[in-house]
Amino acid sequence: MGDNNDKKWSGKTRGGSFGYGFFIFLIDRLGVRFAYVFLAFVVVYFIPFAPKATAASWWYARNILKKGAFQSFLFLFANYYRFGQTLIDKVAVSAGKKDRYQFVFDESYSRFLEILNQERGAIMVSAHVGNWEIGAPFFDQYGKKMHIAMLDAEYRKIKEMLEQHSESRNYNVLPLDETDGLSNILRAKAILDRHEYICFQGDRFLENTQTAEVGFLGKTARFPIGPFLLATRLQVPVIFYFSMREWGMKYKFHFRIAESVPGGSGSKPEFRLLEQYVQALETIVQRYPHQWFNYYRFWGK
Amino acid sequence: MDKKELIKLINENLAEEFEVDIETITPEAHLMETLDLDSLDLVDMVVLIEQNFHFTPKATDFREIATFQDFYEFIESKMNGRQ
Repeated sequence: MGDNNDKKWSGKTRGGSFGYGFFIFLIDRLGVRFAYVFLAFVVVYFIPFAPKATAASWWYARNILKKGAFQSFLFLFANYYRFGQTLIDKVAVSAGKKDRYQFVFDESYSRFLEILNQERGAIMVSAHVGNWEIGAPFFDQYGKKMHIAMLDAEYRKIKEMLEQHSESRNYNVLPLDETDGLSNILRAKAILDRHEYICFQGDRFLENTQTAEVGFLGKTARFPIGPFLLATRLQVPVIFYFSMREWGMKYKFHFRIAESVPGGSGSKPEFRLLEQYVQALETIVQRYPHQWFNYYRFWGK
Repeated sequence: MDKKELIKLINENLAEEFEVDIETITPEAHLMETLDLDSLDLVDMVVLIEQNFHFTPKATDFREIATFQDFYEFIESKMNGRQ
């Protein structure tokens, strides 16, 4: 199923400039709900014309969710539709339409704020599930100290267009240079030393970076070690954060505070943090299976 | 601290932090290969330098370091620069 390119992330998020621009126009002029209706037609187009993404989504439905062929076919629609909705919502909220949505926080929110209020840095680890970016306006003053680690290749294409139509960004960006890992580390360390926060996507990595193979939803997948190694070496707390779309115009923010793991020779504490992350991500994906948005072959070698 | 003492201190710290036999650390040996480091592991090196030598290196500093001898000279020059 698919060629070898299906098996790794290309470093870019799908979606042409015209497509994004058109949806921004729809949201501005005709509203979010009209954009949702139009989205249904776009999804029908995407299934045959985005074959690699469709193959990855199909594989996920068949092999991870264990759905039958017909159910998997329906899943393709639902998965793409949810993905499109999160993109529409992201644009709508960043353009000042957040009052149209309901946002709720889970029971760990106060503990999360306690950690942010400590005089130390913190690492947040999210994933390409739900709509992690939509939470940024709710971090208020914390957002000014929040740095989202981003690969230029992933965001350069759509960033300018989104910024043209949005209010000022509620967070900072930690640009990751794909060719200079050491500079990335030193920039990240400087942020944490200033008692600020970094948000990583724990389900993405580039070739030639440290990864570990871990059991995830019944099959083996590779995850990056970097965020967890930084956290253990620099002794900062780690929070797993997921922002998931519920039925209706509602998002729920989920936080899980990672248990700190002691260092010591040979114990590899970063792997124990990674295990906690994978466990938290599993719980989220099991609860929201349609909001898994990694459109490449995530599992296997 | 004279140069000999500084080298001894550096070698002891590196051997302990990166769990290598101190005998493998020689001036002409390659730093990254001997300590089995990749760029992510260099965060440990940065912390070690901060804790023991009280300065924060820049990314560009490491590009000029290949051998342990280069590393000794780098630490020595930074420490002398502070005096």
